[in-house]
Amino acid sequence: MDAMLVLQLLLGGLQTGAIYALTAAGFALIFGTTRVFHVAHGATFTLAGYVFVFAWNAGWHPALGVLAAVAVAVLFGIGMERFVYRPIQRHEGSFFTVFVAAFGVSIVVQNLVGMVAGRGFANVDTTLSRAVEVLPEVFLAQVFWVAIGVAVVLFVALTAFLSRTHAGVALRALAQNPDLIRAYGLSSSRLSVLTFALGSALAAPAAILMAMTTGLNEAVGNHVMLLSMAATMVGGVGSLRGAAVAGVLLGVAESLVLLVLDTQWAEAASFLVLFGFILFRPTGLFGVVAAR
Amino acid sequence: MTAYLASLATLAAIFAILAVTLNFMVGYAGIFSVAHAVFFGLGAYAGAQVALHLVPDALAACAVAALIAGGLSLCLALPALRVRGEYFVAASLGLQMMALTLFSEAKGLTGGLGGLIGIPPPRLFGFAVGALPLSLAALALILLAIAAMARGSFGRTLQSIRDAESAAEALGKNVAVAKALAVAFACAGAGVAGALFALHMQFVNVESFTLEQSVLVMAMVIVGGTGTLLGPVVGAVLLLSLPAGLAFLPFIPPTEVGAVQQIIYGLAMTLLMIFRPAGLVGDLSRGRSEA
Amino acid sequence: MNRPASMDPPLRCEGLARSFGGVQAVAGVSLALPAGQVTALVGPNGAGKTTVFNLITGNLRADAGVALLRGQSILGLKPWQVARRGVARSFQDLRLFTHMSVRDNVLAATERSAWFWQPGTGRRAREAAAEAALEATGLATLATARAVDLAYAERKFLSMARILAAQAEIWLLDEPASGLDLASRLRFGQLLKDARARGVAICLIEHNLDVVAELADRIAFLDQGRVLAEGEPQAILRDPQLAAIYFGDRPQEVA
Repeated sequence: MDAMLVLQLLLGGLQTGAIYALTAAGFALIFGTTRVFHVAHGATFTLAGYVFVFAWNAGWHPALGVLAAVAVAVLFGIGMERFVYRPIQRHEGSFFTVFVAAFGVSIVVQNLVGMVAGRGFANVDTTLSRAVEVLPEVFLAQVFWVAIGVAVVLFVALTAFLSRTHAGVALRALAQNPDLIRAYGLSSSRLSVLTFALGSALAAPAAILMAMTTGLNEAVGNHVMLLSMAATMVGGVGSLRGAAVAGVLLGVAESLVLLVLDTQWAEAASFLVLFGFILFRPTGLFGVVAAR
Repeated sequence: MTAYLASLATLAAIFAILAVTLNFMVGYAGIFSVAHAVFFGLGAYAGAQVALHLVPDALAACAVAALIAGGLSLCLALPALRVRGEYFVAASLGLQMMALTLFSEAKGLTGGLGGLIGIPPPRLFGFAVGALPLSLAALALILLAIAAMARGSFGRTLQSIRDAESAAEALGKNVAVAKALAVAFACAGAGVAGALFALHMQFVNVESFTLEQSVLVMAMVIVGGTGTLLGPVVGAVLLLSLPAGLAFLPFIPPTEVGAVQQIIYGLAMTLLMIFRPAGLVGDLSRGRSEA
Repeated sequence: MNRPASMDPPLRCEGLARSFGGVQAVAGVSLALPAGQVTALVGPNGAGKTTVFNLITGNLRADAGVALLRGQSILGLKPWQVARRGVARSFQDLRLFTHMSVRDNVLAATERSAWFWQPGTGRRAREAAAEAALEATGLATLATARAVDLAYAERKFLSMARILAAQAEIWLLDEPASGLDLASRLRFGQLLKDARARGVAICLIEHNLDVVAELADRIAFLDQGRVLAEGEPQAILRDPQLAAIYFGDRPQEVA
């Protein structure tokens, strides 16, 4: 096996993994804190990515495009919490009901994006995306470093927010005991809006990075949603660190599978990792066994 | 026109089989899967291969399809049912996406993207039969089986697991076995629907077994009402006539009809969950568990 | 040991222990449940009473200890296997089959097999057992109502009806009488006395000491995962030290 090819695939996998880690951390934050299985997280990703592509094609300043993408992601997340999840939880709120409602929204978003932006690949071509040969037969674009840097910075910032700030500590408390939060006079509904805003915001940079690297299509949300769920599970429920690590792991697995198989099997690799964990370690990497 | 209506009715019966079997998993056993089209596909390919290479007998095709779809579902369900319900859904979504790759790549068995063509029309013990009476009979048999199970101890076991899994276990019920049986039965039913589909269309390819198809079947169950016996049948008929209805709307460009359909399914799912989670037929005040 | 086996308590636990992330919830509990007797588990909140149930029924794995049912170890068995060996339990939060009818709730308790056939029992016998359980709990007139539509006391009796219909030799009841009015409590007491007369070994978690005094044959007093005292109800209930622990020398939540 060609060592340079392995290195190339490994680097590509890390880049994809950084994107998955950001998205998965958002999903895990929302699921861990509010117990909402936010299947429409993939739709957030799709929307944010396409907003950035639109802004880019319209000739906006990139910073403005990033801002617009983040804003749309946050608004969509909050909208889901406000208009879909909360009304459902008011009357019944079974997992099934929440899942179907969110899944319905994902389908609507996917098809609307397909109708408006056209089907097929959409990407932005920046100077950052141009690959140069850094080692013999190993190509790397600057966007690689951007992806790794953005993922690390955002993850550190998120961890700091959750452990250092008042609101962050309250969020973690909400994850452990919603009744306690109410007893201390904090508004659990405002905290859950905050969670959705934060978790959704994390999807925006990930989507922008994907637009700059492999490109987007209208169905990308399904894939990202599957990866986020798989990463949350492989990482262990309730562990942000686990979700992020698992996100990187899945990205690398997807890439390395190309050594032996064609690209269409990339998704199968993540599925096999997920199924392996279901079989042999259902609590995930960092999970603890919960009492029933 | 009669031929068109007969074909539509056959499809409605086939999709009704898919919907009532998925509903058996979701509504009675509380097991949620978005991979029903995978087992539909397995049945279709199995049935087509039997008809192409062994005998063009509908009974044989359906039996083999049921065995393969039900058997494979068991292999997947037994490990996946050990984890929380959320993850079973995640696993089924992964399965749905991976199966599509498998179907397109296993060219020897599925014909790849081109599919399998020239499947002989259904025969029963050597006599030619229409696909419509065949599908209606299969639907009726499956409905009877579900009604019988729902009233008997198996149905009670599944419903008790759906409502309070730990309490069902505390009464001596082997939850894993009960769930696996429910999955195997539902997926075997989807396999039968697949075989009938292959015999009716005389052609199958991977496009009929996508995530969109799984979503469509799920929407049928939800629109009709989970946990009711006939709700999913109503849902199937309603949603299958939707494309015909949309064709009469002149302002939708033909290339976008598929997308518009999907948007309508999606919206219907979301709005029903917010405003009427029991579906159109199901009535919460009367009881979800009553068939 | 030359006593006949039938005199031995059907369920006996020795040194059961379980900790959660450093907190010792149950620290070496030994307990025997004799046939035809009501044993009350009493103690402040967090004493580990429900955890003891969960260890016996296999809902939690024990770190140490033994649990013998008629001389055979049941530790390591799954909850449904323990249940099939004749241990029935109720839950503090009831866990009724909410969307099923009252009769179906009780019928489900008579059917152990997951499959269509129920080996060992005839359908008639199961239906008769279910009707008898409904009759005894006063739910016969509500048989077709859904569990979710029942009033509070009716729900508690439905939970008891499931236990009755399961025809187990050992009952583990988690606060079955809490919040019941006087008339309901009398009916509940009668259920327990009838079962005791049939030789059922009953273990009862109960906060209301009046109920305990009236129904219990023995009391095991639990605190911080240990059995502090065990014996005749009057002796335990009059012990001033235990009363101080029970009524809270330490800060604790209200039951």
